[in-house]
Formats: sequence, C-alpha cells, structure tokens
Amino acid sequence: MHEYSVASAIVDQVKAIVEEHKATQVKKIIVSASPYDVIIPELLIEAYGIITDDLDKFKGSTLEMQNSKAEITCLECDYKGEPAEEGDPEFAYNFICPKCESRDTHINMKNLTIETVDLVIPDN
Amino acid sequence: MSPERKVVVKKLAYRVNDELADKIREVMKSKNKLFFNMMGSIGAGKTLILEQLAAKLSSKYRVFVINGDVATTIDADRIAKQGATTVQINTGGGCHLSAKLIQNELDKINIDDYDIFIAENVGNLICPAAWDIGAQLNITVVSITEGEYVVKKHPIIFKNSEIAIINKCDLDGLGFNSDVLAEDAAKIKSGMKVILTSAKTGQGIDELITTLGIEL
Repeated sequence: MHEYSVASAIVDQVKAIVEEHKATQVKKIIVSASPYDVIIPELLIEAYGIITDDLDKFKGSTLEMQNSKAEITCLECDYKGEPAEEGDPEFAYNFICPKCESRDTHINMKNLTIETVDLVIPDN
Repeated sequence: MSPERKVVVKKLAYRVNDELADKIREVMKSKNKLFFNMMGSIGAGKTLILEQLAAKLSSKYRVFVINGDVATTIDADRIAKQGATTVQINTGGGCHLSAKLIQNELDKINIDDYDIFIAENVGNLICPAAWDIGAQLNITVVSITEGEYVVKKHPIIFKNSEIAIINKCDLDGLGFNSDVLAEDAAKIKSGMKVILTSAKTGQGIDELITTLGIEL
C-alpha cells in the first residue's frame, strides 16, 4: 500500500505551502489523478486521515480527488496526449497512439497533482 | 474570523521524490558510476542473483549494495559475504524504497569510494514501480515458479523497467515454463532486454553483466 507514502508526500508539500502563506489552518486539499495513476482513492484518503490526525493545522481538513485525463507519449511519433480509446487487448496499460496508431506508447502513471489548497490565513 | 483563501498549487505529488531521484542520477552520471535498481517479488531470487553478481564483480569493482526489506539484515549479510559493501534499510511497514531513503545512505559514504551501486528494492511487484529512486537502470526479476501470467498481471513494473530477468530457469520443463514469461516481457515494452537466468546454477549471470555494460 504505497498510498501512505503518497499521502505523506502530499502533506509534506502542503506543510511548505502553509508556512509560505503563514496559514493557521488547512481546510481542504484537492488532488487530481488520471485513471492509470496506480492510486486507490479510498486508501489515499484514509492514509491522509491517519497522517494528519495529530497535525494541529490539518485537523478537520479533507482531501478530495478529481479525475484528470490519461496521457500517453508515443515512442514512434512523439505524440503526447490522450490515448485512443482502445487499449491493447493483451496487455493492460498499453495504448494505441491516436496519431500514428502505433502500440509503442508509454502511459504516464504519475499524473497525481496537488491542484488547490484551501487555507485559513489571518488578516495582517 | 480569519478569511479562507484557495491557493492554486498545480504541483505533482511525486515532485519532491522525483527531483531528488533526478539529482541522484545526475551525481552518478557525473561521477561515471553505475546505479541500478533490482525489483521483484519476495522469493523471485533477487538476493541470490546479487550474490552471484557481487562474487563476480567484487574482485575488479567496488560494489555498494543497498538492501530494502521490512525487517532483518539477512539479505545485506548474505551479499556482504560475496565481497560487496552492503547496507540494510528496514522500512518497517514501507513497501518500497524511495529517493530519500537512497540519498540518506549515500550521505553516509563517499560515492567516489565505489564503482557500482545497486539497490535491492523491497519484495513487491506493485509499489516500487511508482517510486523513482534515481537509478539509471531498472530491472525486474520474476521466477518461473510465480506462474505464467505474472508479467501480464503486473504490466506497470515491466513498463518501468529496461531489463526483465526470468529466473529459476533450471526448473524449466519440470512443470514450469520460461517461454511465456520471456515472450510477454519482450512484448510489453519496446527495447526490453530479457535475460533467462538461474541464480542457483549461474546461468545468465554473465549475460546480465554484459547487458549492464560492465567489463570483467
């Protein structure tokens, strides 16, 4: 279950954002993930809850997940973008390039992105 | 009441790890070092392959091996007996190594004291695939006793590897078959180098050394 590691990586980055903005509280974090990001959303949210349970500035905060588009890179024609709908019937995570129809493509499995953080920031 | 503000971040969750991994790769490249990451299931034969490698390489090269396991120093102790310098990382419940764990160990040594760096990742065909540890080459080991569908069932780790090792080939024909695994590993990613080994008999170890670009 590497979701715990991923949740830790998210929290570490958000801690830096909290410091940067001199925030007193984190309210909500929105992350986006493509369907092939090797993440189970329920486990990530559960891990986030465990990690932040004893962090005062994260108390009561939520982690929400949004869907993002899958992205492939074609190793034949350098196309970068959404795959053709049809995947390889033999091997999962193999996709057809919509530009040149090559099956020699690489699917990006690390799209997981911290989109926004809602913070409580005291007035000066 | 203090106002709430939405901060737009747009940063990858793996960013910190991957930036450190890139830094490790750059350091290794600038110092002309080889660093490879060996991944695979528990019991695939990673440690025995590394014992074979260490025994062959240690007379000519200074080999530093970082072993990742949940507990014990068994693997590091085994490989050290073959002439490599080893360090064991116990991850507790952690199911993979990370760039930070590797950097922590590199910070304790002088990189110039070694020629070849090897990480034996935690036994697992899923989580290590997602975590870049800064290696120049990723190797996935499967053994023919894991069943003929193990490559198809775990495409991600093979797509993130440059070399696939099909191990325990001394059992070929004894109720196990290396053909399907080797064919699947070759088909799953273009340019994949597939090596058939038996860590027990030493079959394929020289081919692995050659594939890694190491001269004996």
